[in-house]
Amino acid sequence: MSRSRQQVVRMLALVPYLQGNDGVPVNEVAAEFGVTPKVIRDDLRLLMYTGTGEYAGELIDFDLTALEQDGVVHIRDAEFMTRPLRISTREGVALIVALRTLRASASGLELTVIDSALAKLESAVGDTVSAPVDVLLDEVDPAIHGTIVEALTGGKRLEMTYATASRDEQSDRDVDPRRLFTEQGKLYLEAWCLKAEDLRFFRLDRIVSARVLAIDAEEHDATPRDLSDGFFTVGDETPYALVDLHPRAHWLTEYYQVDLIEQGDDGVWRAKLYGADWEWLRRLVLRNAGSITVLQPDTLRSQVIDDARVALLAYDEVVAPPKES
Amino acid sequence: MAERKTERLMNLIFALLVSRQYLTKDQIRESIADYRDSTPQAFDRKFERDKEELRELGINVEMGQNDKYFNDEPGYRIRRDEAELPDLELTREEAAVIGLATQVWEHAGLASDSTTALVKLKAIGVDVDTSVLRMAEPRLSTDEPSFDAMWDAVTRRIPVAFVYARPGQEPMERHLQPWGIVSWHDRWYVGGFDLDRGESRIFRLSRVVGEVETEGDAGSYEIPEGTDMKTIARTLFPPAPQEAAVLRIRAGRGQGLRRLAETVTPVGDGIDEVQIRYSSRWELASEVASYGPDVVVVSPADVRQAVIQRLTAAVTGTLESS
Repeated sequence: MSRSRQQVVRMLALVPYLQGNDGVPVNEVAAEFGVTPKVIRDDLRLLMYTGTGEYAGELIDFDLTALEQDGVVHIRDAEFMTRPLRISTREGVALIVALRTLRASASGLELTVIDSALAKLESAVGDTVSAPVDVLLDEVDPAIHGTIVEALTGGKRLEMTYATASRDEQSDRDVDPRRLFTEQGKLYLEAWCLKAEDLRFFRLDRIVSARVLAIDAEEHDATPRDLSDGFFTVGDETPYALVDLHPRAHWLTEYYQVDLIEQGDDGVWRAKLYGADWEWLRRLVLRNAGSITVLQPDTLRSQVIDDARVALLAYDEVVAPPKES
Repeated sequence: MAERKTERLMNLIFALLVSRQYLTKDQIRESIADYRDSTPQAFDRKFERDKEELRELGINVEMGQNDKYFNDEPGYRIRRDEAELPDLELTREEAAVIGLATQVWEHAGLASDSTTALVKLKAIGVDVDTSVLRMAEPRLSTDEPSFDAMWDAVTRRIPVAFVYARPGQEPMERHLQPWGIVSWHDRWYVGGFDLDRGESRIFRLSRVVGEVETEGDAGSYEIPEGTDMKTIARTLFPPAPQEAAVLRIRAGRGQGLRRLAETVTPVGDGIDEVQIRYSSRWELASEVASYGPDVVVVSPADVRQAVIQRLTAAVTGTLESS
């Protein structure tokens, strides 16, 4: 949407808003509208040239002394528009999709509230066809989800069994839950782990069982990790493997952190594949064996070979590894 | 310049909104300085563009005559009862979820659209206090360059053409009547009627290369009755598991497979026999192979064979041609 169109939309909402909030500070208006105070001041200045006519009393006016000295807004001569315009299709669709996203990660009673809010909003937006946009999240066990929401709402400690994927093990721990959020289409719990004495993220579909304890969760002084770049960011210390990818494994380049080095004529791509830890990389290579091979480092390459050889023994298969080059 | 236009649009909206009667073009021209100062031709152009602009803003300008018996010149007005936001009678909790919803978008334009909607609700006295709820805080982000154009095409029903590149394949131009957009695993997909293939298809937005071209007017096709993006998106999901498999898993290991377990029976030596259901032999063999010696397939034979093949390739370090 063009900037002038955005400004028109904002100013049309400002007129009734300011009348309903007489004396509101400019900074607060800016925060409510999600813009800078300068943008609001520019809007107010322009609004003084608008109204139902061109004479005094027909043009919108502001108490300029209060605005300049105290930074607060008193609007005058705007009684001709005390209600905002309808929520437009565009605004409605954005909000409806956001509500559907909330719904996809909600549980229990929350669903009822979201559904009724959606119904009221859809009726107010008017004759819009239902928004052709949807958000899907992986389903998690509703009982576990419900337990976590219960602990969050009641401010209680949780006892849970959690399965760690890369180390492939289960462990029991008590946690003080802080919030639920989504990342990469999956639901996570951020909680203070009493075992690790630190903030941890737990993927809900990996929580094997959970129980609300009769203990109040405590406040812990911890700075949440900045997730604006996602969970996984490549740094100098990030483990990586040099690999060859068969065309069947090219999709890996879309899903994981990969630096493509060479695209061979035979369709084989050579790439640096980054992982959170070596365990994860080893499992990824085993999972896709036949479509991916490790060139470096040697430690990872021989771990993969050893793992596969031992595994094959159970099938009465003996396979010789390639000669060292 | 832009400011002059904004001022003119605001005054046009206010004039049409407060008037109980239809305003003729002349009356409108007379009451707004910028129109008055224009030549008749320039005024005509500006007025037509401005009406279009109001339509884009979702403001319905009604055309009619004040007195049909007197062959009046047609005029314009905005019907206040239609234009104003009615009371929604939201409960405290409903207002709170709407407040939370405005924090979902990590996309400048859509965040601003949903914020404006929220401000309108606040302007009619809806009290928004998100602290009454402690819900999950999902985020919707979009880094696909084609997102904005596709969003616009989907919400306005405009056919599009774009170049689509699957990895390892030649990019191809595709023609689509988009029906809907869906986010799955943090990735955006557009589904619709594929004019080249003559059937419904789904496309990943991150694979769209370059500009999305529009190929027609808004509303130039109908979305089939009962179209549900969830159904279309189902092609993205694995089918429901049908086949039965028996695995031997070392105690405390194979977490991803244990989640699917129907039964777990300890058989001694720290080994559990685990029964699961699966839908794809390929997927199951991959998952089993990833656990190395900790998981062994007992049955069926074809999954056993697939795992043996996978592990053999891991030992020899060869890329299979099959």
